Amino acid sequence: MLSHASRIGVIARHAFTQLVRMKVFYFLAFFAVILIGSNFFDLPQHEGPESAGINILRSIKSWSLGAMTLFSVVLSIVATALLLPKDVEDRTLYTILAKPVPRIDYLAGKLIGVLLLVFVSLALMDVLMTGILHLRTEMVLADQMAVAEARNWPAQDVALLKSDILAQGPTASLQGAVFSVFLRATIIASMAMLISTFSSSTLFTTIISFLIYFVGHFQADARAAYFTHEAGTGDGFWLRGVALLISLVLPDFQLFNVIDAVIEGQVLPLLILGKLTLIGLFYFVFYVIASWLVFARKEF
Amino acid sequence: MTEATPAVEIRHLVKDFKTSFKRQPLRAVDDVSIRIMPGEVYGLIGPNGSGKSTTMKALLGLVAPTSGECSIFGKDSLKVDSRNEVGFLPENPYFYKHLSGEETLKFYGKLCGIKGAKLRDRVKELLELVDLEGASHRRIGGYSKGMLQRIGLAQALIQEPQLVILDEPTAGVDPVGSREIRDLIFKLRERGITVFLCSHLLEQVQEVCDHVGIIFRGKMVKEGRLEDLIAIEDQTELVMKDASPELVAEIEALIAKDGTAEHVRTGKPRTTLERLFLRETRSREETN
Repeated sequence: MLSHASRIGVIARHAFTQLVRMKVFYFLAFFAVILIGSNFFDLPQHEGPESAGINILRSIKSWSLGAMTLFSVVLSIVATALLLPKDVEDRTLYTILAKPVPRIDYLAGKLIGVLLLVFVSLALMDVLMTGILHLRTEMVLADQMAVAEARNWPAQDVALLKSDILAQGPTASLQGAVFSVFLRATIIASMAMLISTFSSSTLFTTIISFLIYFVGHFQADARAAYFTHEAGTGDGFWLRGVALLISLVLPDFQLFNVIDAVIEGQVLPLLILGKLTLIGLFYFVFYVIASWLVFARKEF
Repeated sequence: MTEATPAVEIRHLVKDFKTSFKRQPLRAVDDVSIRIMPGEVYGLIGPNGSGKSTTMKALLGLVAPTSGECSIFGKDSLKVDSRNEVGFLPENPYFYKHLSGEETLKFYGKLCGIKGAKLRDRVKELLELVDLEGASHRRIGGYSKGMLQRIGLAQALIQEPQLVILDEPTAGVDPVGSREIRDLIFKLRERGITVFLCSHLLEQVQEVCDHVGIIFRGKMVKEGRLEDLIAIEDQTELVMKDASPELVAEIEALIAKDGTAEHVRTGKPRTTLERLFLRETRSREETN
């Protein structure tokens, strides 16, 4: 008998092919344009000449990671919201579920197919960004070293300047930030999958998923402001319970703000990346199980 | 002697659907029982909305019965493993348009755990069976209605199931395509595969099925062997070729003399419009 993993693999590969043949990779051309554009987006310089060029490097990272976030969120929501209702509408789902395919395999396969697409897209964008950033960093470094040499800077200062410039280049933390973008997309896609199991239209799933995504950026603040204030009224236990439930169902996307710090050239600690990975995995499993509970009872 | 396990056994199936506006649920299937033995071709007929498709979906586990039980070769149809021996062609199916016919069959084959050379051979064999070798590399999006039905039948057969369930297999297909699908059902019967089909095209069911159930407003109103159901027991048919008017008159006189027998009608047997259509289109195809 075919194992769950093999069957999920077949469905995932198929979902990936389906999305690729919908020509979703065309957006890479837009990404390339954004990336090239970010090279010319030089902000007014307030710092001394020793910082010249660093803004460009930040601009490349900022625009690239911004575009990656945008594309990964849109792809995760739209692709997930599209796949399930389309199969039901076209009755293709009947032919799949009439085969010895457990419903959990179908759901997991579709979701992994979408995530595979997001991962490949992000990887391609990452290669482009890293390539451009590497070239640009080399240019900035050469310019700055020339300035430092002309001014006879002490070796210690030159080394410091060099490490400052390299910190704005393609670092391991930057790869960690791209991975964080993928983790956030994983959570969003899994959430969209849950919504699409009980929603009757792609549009509904898309709108609600975007809403939850935006709410996810504020839920931590709202929880802190409302529940700490109300907890003093005597209903503390219940309110803490409600707060916990909200944080369980609605992910806190503020946790992913570490990406902004990486754009500024800061290091992304492995511990934080590990924590984000665990959170991503938790929501993936949580939403898949919740989707299955809904989908297993669904009638077609 | 032990009796063989039925290919399909539906016992007292009831299916209610919740309705948004009415408090009373809608009863789509009302105490339907069907038993199909291996190798039989069973036709479930009834008007639109009579519960045919719901019965099939309940058998495939796509809807859960409100009460009653369905089993396939003795296995509860709500369990996934009951689907190992089933192939299903839904009404008006649309397959993934981005896949070719061959890719479609490979996808369904892989879902059933077939791979490698075995899958390639099976796909080739099925494409030949449904006469789509020439279109195997074309995207499904460009297939005609008849071709879609045929590739749908091929995907239903991919894992060599012992039971094939066909929901309105010729809906929207032209007479030539319809005939091809019927020929395929005959081939399945020859191979000993059990076929459970539902249709509201009675002539088609009469041609291919050996057992028939008539469902109306969710209830099974008549069921049994086709020959038993359609035979008019008190009438005898005599069909003659090149009979002269005198001979016909003589026979009629003999009947009148008998006293017990009654002459019901005399006339020329008619072909069906479908047979006429097929004869005319095929003869023109051959001359071109």
